[in-house]
Amino acid sequence: MRPEDALRAIDEVREDAIVVPTMTTVPAWRTIAPDAPSVACVVVMSGASSLGLGLAIAQPQRRVIVLDGDGSLLMQLGSLATVAGAAPANYTHLLFANGVYQTSGSQAIPARSGIDFAGMAAAAGYASTTRIETLEEFRIRLPELLSATGPVFAELATEEAELTPMTAPGGEPLRVQVAQLRERLARESG
Amino acid sequence: MSPVGTNERIPAELMVAALKDAFRAQRTAPPLAGEPLGWILSVPDTHQRSVIAELEGDDELRLLTCSTEDEANAIAAGLHIGGAEVALMIQHAGLYASVNTMRGVGLDGGVPLFALVGLLSREPELAPRDSPRSMVRFAEPLLDTFAVPHTLLETRDDLHRIPEYYALSRERSGPAVVLVGRETA
Repeated sequence: MRPEDALRAIDEVREDAIVVPTMTTVPAWRTIAPDAPSVACVVVMSGASSLGLGLAIAQPQRRVIVLDGDGSLLMQLGSLATVAGAAPANYTHLLFANGVYQTSGSQAIPARSGIDFAGMAAAAGYASTTRIETLEEFRIRLPELLSATGPVFAELATEEAELTPMTAPGGEPLRVQVAQLRERLARESG
Repeated sequence: MSPVGTNERIPAELMVAALKDAFRAQRTAPPLAGEPLGWILSVPDTHQRSVIAELEGDDELRLLTCSTEDEANAIAAGLHIGGAEVALMIQHAGLYASVNTMRGVGLDGGVPLFALVGLLSREPELAPRDSPRSMVRFAEPLLDTFAVPHTLLETRDDLHRIPEYYALSRERSGPAVVLVGRETA
């Protein structure tokens, strides 16, 4: 599936969820959902799953959606265990698995054809895990992925993105994103 | 608090009390029902193991063990954005391992990262910079390189530095570190 189509599908049903994109999902998400409560994790490539975990346990009344990459997750694979141990019920971990480090030139990730990320998440202790091959299936299953008791993990078989943070730099600096989202969450929490 | 001999170790309960003081001073409202006063993110540190044990039975603070210090820095960012108080408890080896994440999250991201960093194997009679052990010797120069304010915690007379440096991390919107120079009791 095209990652941009998957992101549009997420935007259609996300409601007030907090979204943490990283790497190749960042430029497209910035365009597709410019007003969503989001913080892009590019400065620290591997940190999306953990940044999302912190948000999920601090804001238990809101769903947190992590838009992770396979190369990014491999850099902090232990975060699967940390997330499973914390067991946030409001946490949905969507892995955009394109098999390459696209931002740095589309080099293949280690063991590209043999990694079962959903199986790893299941073994770590996520409440539910799945692998989704097509956009049609993703659209059908997305509402459940965003409402089921977490932590939820879905590995999405995606193509490479149209844009990367290298080909489409921009957006607010992380410092500004952090301040703006913190202020917004405080305001919306009442 | 009364001065103590240089060989007396800091009781864990006083460390926990200092962390609570640090969190209370920053909160604008008391915790809601079921909400912790603050979070401690730990990649277990030998020097602070008695504090970790004390935290496991604490009703006000929530302890989360992380797989890596990189994770702890990023989780701390999420907690801060979400409005929670948070401190890291790690070891000097973890500081070295996670310095790029501290740079990205704390310096570029402006996230107030506060960390208690244990100086395992530090010789009590030596200043950390004079230690023959590289793991101890390079901790302060590394923090200086990244312009991260730091202080040394050795006796109970130093406990006030925990809330002070916690507040400093919030004022600077960046990292601040308390180096735990002795094993806690």
